[in-house]
Amino acid sequence: MADVALTQGPVAEKRRGEGLTAAALITPATIFVAFCLLAPLCILFRYSLNEFVPAKKMMVEAVTVANYVRFFTDPYYTSILATTVRVAVLVTVVCLVLGFPLAYVVARTQSRFKHLLIISIILPLFVGNAVRAAGWMTIFGSKGAVNASLMGLGLIDKPLEIMFTEKAVIIGIIAVNLPFMVLTLQSVIEGIDRAVEEAAFSLGAPPGTMFRRVLWPLALPGILAGTILTFILAMNAYATPFLLGGPLFKMMAPLVYNQFTQQANWPFGGAIAFILMTVTLLLTVAANLIFQRRAAR
Amino acid sequence: MADLSLNGLSKHYGDFYAVREVSLTIADGEFLVLLGPSGCGKTTTLRMVAGFIEPSAGHVRLAGQDVTLLPPWKRNAGMVFQSYALFPHMTVAQNVAFGLEMRKLPRADIERRVEEALALVRLSGYGGRLPRQLSGGQQQRVALARALAIRPDVLLLDEPLSNLDAKLRQEVRVEIRELQRQLGLTTVMVTHDQEEALTMADRLVVMNEGAVRQVGSQRDLYERPADRFVAGFVGRTTFLAGTVEAPGRFRSDGGLALACAGGLPGRAVLSLRPERVEIGLQPRSGLDNALSGTVEFVSYLGALIDIHVRLSPSDRLVVQIANREGGFTPEVGQPVHVGWPVSAGQVFNE
Repeated sequence: MADVALTQGPVAEKRRGEGLTAAALITPATIFVAFCLLAPLCILFRYSLNEFVPAKKMMVEAVTVANYVRFFTDPYYTSILATTVRVAVLVTVVCLVLGFPLAYVVARTQSRFKHLLIISIILPLFVGNAVRAAGWMTIFGSKGAVNASLMGLGLIDKPLEIMFTEKAVIIGIIAVNLPFMVLTLQSVIEGIDRAVEEAAFSLGAPPGTMFRRVLWPLALPGILAGTILTFILAMNAYATPFLLGGPLFKMMAPLVYNQFTQQANWPFGGAIAFILMTVTLLLTVAANLIFQRRAAR
Repeated sequence: MADLSLNGLSKHYGDFYAVREVSLTIADGEFLVLLGPSGCGKTTTLRMVAGFIEPSAGHVRLAGQDVTLLPPWKRNAGMVFQSYALFPHMTVAQNVAFGLEMRKLPRADIERRVEEALALVRLSGYGGRLPRQLSGGQQQRVALARALAIRPDVLLLDEPLSNLDAKLRQEVRVEIRELQRQLGLTTVMVTHDQEEALTMADRLVVMNEGAVRQVGSQRDLYERPADRFVAGFVGRTTFLAGTVEAPGRFRSDGGLALACAGGLPGRAVLSLRPERVEIGLQPRSGLDNALSGTVEFVSYLGALIDIHVRLSPSDRLVVQIANREGGFTPEVGQPVHVGWPVSAGQVFNE
């Protein structure tokens, strides 16, 4: 009887109505994603299996894994992938270490100026990556502010080489990614009852132990989200490595762009793009699994 | 042994005094309740005892040691939070074991004491569950077990019952009190619920605006409130505003001439407990004050009936009578007679 009432009549009609509303709500976004992301990706993947004739700078239809093989057999390209992963991991770790205390303070402050704090964290995002990188160039260049001051003070006699090194790129990407890490962590820490920390203290846990046993495990979802976000952004960074790294420093995203525009080699560019995407995805999933296994322990 | 004393404890934020010069001594095994409206400083006081707030002035002594400057993790104080503050990622047993692990007890001892603590709060066999799998009442008991397992010098309860429903709250009150007595635990509880305070306390401290207004037993506070605030906060009372013309003579703003006990000439209020006033259809005899009025409002509370009686255009009195069979049954608009002895009222000069 009850089943009949659920599958027919006004209740069932209302349910169907809700289903339709939900469908109507998700459709526009779904169509957008399908056309603007999935379709190009499929086409790109198909291109990556094509052949390229360098002499004519032309793509020839084929089904071959030659582009992928070329990437993984040429140390020039694999070293670019290694650099990219190294930079991304380093950036992510530094962002976490710098970001957690900041996020904690912002989440726990009772100050009236809390919203100003949050705005000041978001504010750097208003400055585009390219603009920011240009600014960095004026500071870290061999005749930039840092070197000029240090040399003026007689602390160094040769300008420090910061520009156009991996260092500059790492510093630059950290500056770009830190707000994402802080905001993600802050929202999660805010959801952790302050009393839980106090309970740990009152039970005899000093701050370090409290952090390890209580705060860290409870903040883990936020830590995961923040590191994934930062890692993906760092893996795919384009403007910062391009502008701060100089012509000799190479990361994956500029390489992809270079293949498409300078070399007009769409098949190889597509293959590199897919390699970048897959490596990012695999490392993210792996980190996720490791983190969660630790948490479950 | 595990006695607690607060000496001139103050906390101010700029010009604002959250707690002002609170001095209290809590004997070993005593159950003390800090009672007051929200923002009266009771929670701040408790948090200074726990070590979460550093006092601006004064000292806290716990079990013979000055702990004023010690961080919370070096004080042996068990705390039960209003939100219970259980560690959501740990099982019940892990929650209870946490404090024991911090004390670096051997594994076997920890297991034994976790079992004991859970048995104490009737949650044996629940050790493997996660807090979110328990009801509010059970979570509350886990929080209590976790605080008791460390064998604290003092048990601090911060509004521990306010998240439970009314029926459960009455049971848990008795349970906590029995447990506390059985273990001989020095306990400080904070609450704004006077009924809770009156049922559980050995001794009560009424606070308002950061200061202690009165310390005493339930009877002290009810029968001999130190000031108008305590009279109004503990139990119910009617205040008649007026003037003391001479000691023993009170004239209300509505023009009623009343006999009272003492009082200094000047503006004052006369406080009358609703159940000490007699009411009936016939004039009351043999009472120091006998007046007539009209029933204006009646609330039927089951065991008790509240009757609001208009005595003059600006004087209204609440009278509470027991709901006895064949007793007085008031009706709105009915003319009635009320009366009370001098001893039923108390005058507070303003």
